Amino acid sequence: MIWQQFANGLAIGSVYALIALGLTMVYGVLRILHIAHAGVYALGAYVGLLVFRFIPNFWLALAITMVASSFAGIILQRYLYAPLLALPRIVPLIASIGLFIAMEEIFRLIAGPYILAFPADPGLGGIEWGIVRITNNQFLVFLVTVSLLATLWFVMSKTKLGLAMKATSQDLEIASVMGINTERIIATNFLIGSALAGAAGVLVGVYFNSVYPTMGSIPAYKALAIIVLGGLGSIPGTVLGGLLIGLGETLLLGLINIPFPRDALAFIIMIIILMFRPYGLLGKE
Amino acid sequence: MFGGYIITVAVTIGIYIILAMSLNIITGYAGQISLGHAAFWGIGAYCSALLSTRLGLPFWIGLPMTIAITALTGSLLAIPCLRVREDFLAITTIGINFVVQAVFLYVPFFGGAMGIGGIRSPFSTSSFFWITLIFVLVCIVLDRWLVTSWIGLALESIREDETAAAISGIDVVRFKVAAFAIGSGLTGLAGHLYAHFMTFISADDFGFPQSIVILSMIVFGGIGTLRGAILGAIILGVAPEIFRPVLDYRTLIYGGLLIFMMRFQPGGILGDQSVLPKLFRMVRQRSPALVRSG
Amino acid sequence: MAFLEVRCLTKEFYGLRALDRVDFSVEERKILGIIGPNGAGKTTLFNIISGILRPTAGEIQFQGARINHLKPHQIAMAGIARTFQIVRPFGNFTVLKNVLVGFGHRFYPGLFSSAYRFEKETHLERAREILARVGMETYQGSIAKNLPLGLKKHLEIARALALDPSLLLLDEPMAGLQYEEFEKLAGLIRGLREEGITIVLIEHNMQVVMDLCERIVVLDHGVKIAEGSPEEVRTDPQVIEAYIGQEETVA
Repeated sequence: MIWQQFANGLAIGSVYALIALGLTMVYGVLRILHIAHAGVYALGAYVGLLVFRFIPNFWLALAITMVASSFAGIILQRYLYAPLLALPRIVPLIASIGLFIAMEEIFRLIAGPYILAFPADPGLGGIEWGIVRITNNQFLVFLVTVSLLATLWFVMSKTKLGLAMKATSQDLEIASVMGINTERIIATNFLIGSALAGAAGVLVGVYFNSVYPTMGSIPAYKALAIIVLGGLGSIPGTVLGGLLIGLGETLLLGLINIPFPRDALAFIIMIIILMFRPYGLLGKE
Repeated sequence: MFGGYIITVAVTIGIYIILAMSLNIITGYAGQISLGHAAFWGIGAYCSALLSTRLGLPFWIGLPMTIAITALTGSLLAIPCLRVREDFLAITTIGINFVVQAVFLYVPFFGGAMGIGGIRSPFSTSSFFWITLIFVLVCIVLDRWLVTSWIGLALESIREDETAAAISGIDVVRFKVAAFAIGSGLTGLAGHLYAHFMTFISADDFGFPQSIVILSMIVFGGIGTLRGAILGAIILGVAPEIFRPVLDYRTLIYGGLLIFMMRFQPGGILGDQSVLPKLFRMVRQRSPALVRSG
Repeated sequence: MAFLEVRCLTKEFYGLRALDRVDFSVEERKILGIIGPNGAGKTTLFNIISGILRPTAGEIQFQGARINHLKPHQIAMAGIARTFQIVRPFGNFTVLKNVLVGFGHRFYPGLFSSAYRFEKETHLERAREILARVGMETYQGSIAKNLPLGLKKHLEIARALALDPSLLLLDEPMAGLQYEEFEKLAGLIRGLREEGITIVLIEHNMQVVMDLCERIVVLDHGVKIAEGSPEEVRTDPQVIEAYIGQEETVA
């Protein structure tokens, strides 16, 4: 039973990590809280479902979604955030919240306020190891997130592009003096982050077999808690934070069965940890 | 003298004005971004409702107690906020909002999902309007006093540059707590009025979206200015009524308006650097010259 | 007993030593210069003395009392004022209001006095006097962020003087100024010393340092490599070594 819960928690936690990664990458280069990132996540779920309805192939839907959502991310960066960067932090924050609200409304107006089913079967099957049974959906989530995270890790630590991205997130000005095309790096951060969010949208849509306009609301705020927990801008910290929150929620609620809302729990964990580490788990001053 | 509908809208706007002013003290003057202001409002409203329904305290006795308790809780909740800066602070305040709302929703003492009903108001709807109006005026006077006082100068210097303020001898922690205490004291007032006007409250009234609405008010009107807070509260208070015919698009318009404002007039309608106040200053500077030359 | 005494001061950032067992002291009513190549740890030293950073080890004594555990505002109240190399005025305030901020600890000490008006005529008068000291009386109504760099630098000094300090830490006050302004500012610094203010000065311009300071401390990579009169420091081989490539300015 506990191992079952563990598998659930890990699945949910890895999806959280996937969403929060984009947020942390954007924060790393631009120092803005990209609330509308959760809108990109919901957009991903809708795009994936739309593609799936025409061609019922999960992998194709996932691929097209990632392309589409990375486009969306780049458009947001260029036309929404770029002109606001020199202004006080609160300005891009409010604009981002406004955009997120508007996106949810657009989804509702176009697709209707209903919960739509996303009955994709990627044809993986489940796994059973003794008492632990990993359902096919859980397996799917693990497979996709682990391969995406591994790819991201490879890009960030083994390629020139990754080095440039790291340098840019350390100090934008110095990076640009060193001859890094920071404009392109910023766009790349949005591209990768949004692609990950789109993938997360499809995964969650399939995992819970539901896609609805406000599906981004809770992840929007929970992802904030996660990136703060990990230390704003830290990629390993974010993955750690996502898994921690996913496991924490599932284990605490599944085992102790306390009547407490799982959505506030992420913030309680976050506030407690911030009291001891004001810059998050893996953050620096 | 007015219809009930108009009065209800007017009282709601009055409460919004007090809320916007109180957030303006924390975010506009002291520069501490709070995305969880509705939590303090909720604390005020629940405190007021409990004092009224459980202890049967009358309106005027409950009022100072609610303000004091909310100011105290506000400054206690500010303690986690003092450890963190800027974006960490913004997210911590979101967290506080979610946690406070969860407490209202899940602790039976606060009525759970049912909320608290049966709060008795001693006033008729129209006298409630006048009482709200008087409180709004009192708050305006308080605000004017605050910005000319030493506290006001200290808060603004913290907003401008925390480190420079500290090396100028300003106890940053003490004044940040003061900002949260004064701001949440005023939200306590707003909560008291709200609870007694609505006679029924529930946790849903004080969620994170409400915090965004309050923040939008001051950003819309012009952050850091009293006139901006008032105008923003009026606009966002009236807008839902005006857009009632296009109910289905109301939230979309709200979101679009936020983007539009930030993109083209990020200082708000009446912010110091915005178009309207600049025009106004130009006109005012020119007119005495005209008088003299004529 | 020295007026300000720094003993064995060490500061590490992520394992790197920005300051390594630095000792020096300043006598009352003297001007001490601190020089050193970029990255020598000069500004870090000021940040520690003014309480913005905590030292990893070591001790600072001011007028015989240990101050390295105090918060920045407590150190300011004890009588240590500073300026920043990269100016940080309160940008949206007027020049006059910038100066008024420094009056808080003297005129509004308690909770209740904090409720009084900050624009009292006596305070405004005093603030204008301070602005006149630094030659900025005509700019009192200007918004600080719109001032040119030279005036912002002077405003920093005015804001520091508002604290009525007995020790003034000046972090490269000449940097970015026109040559003609040097002499005026040097005169102001000498005048402040005459009034009894002790001054510690970080400065890159050697001419200014040599002219103004009685004693000079030289830092390099966080280590004190020399200390003495301008003449001693000028001829110290280690100092010349540290400044290789910049010898022209030393000589």
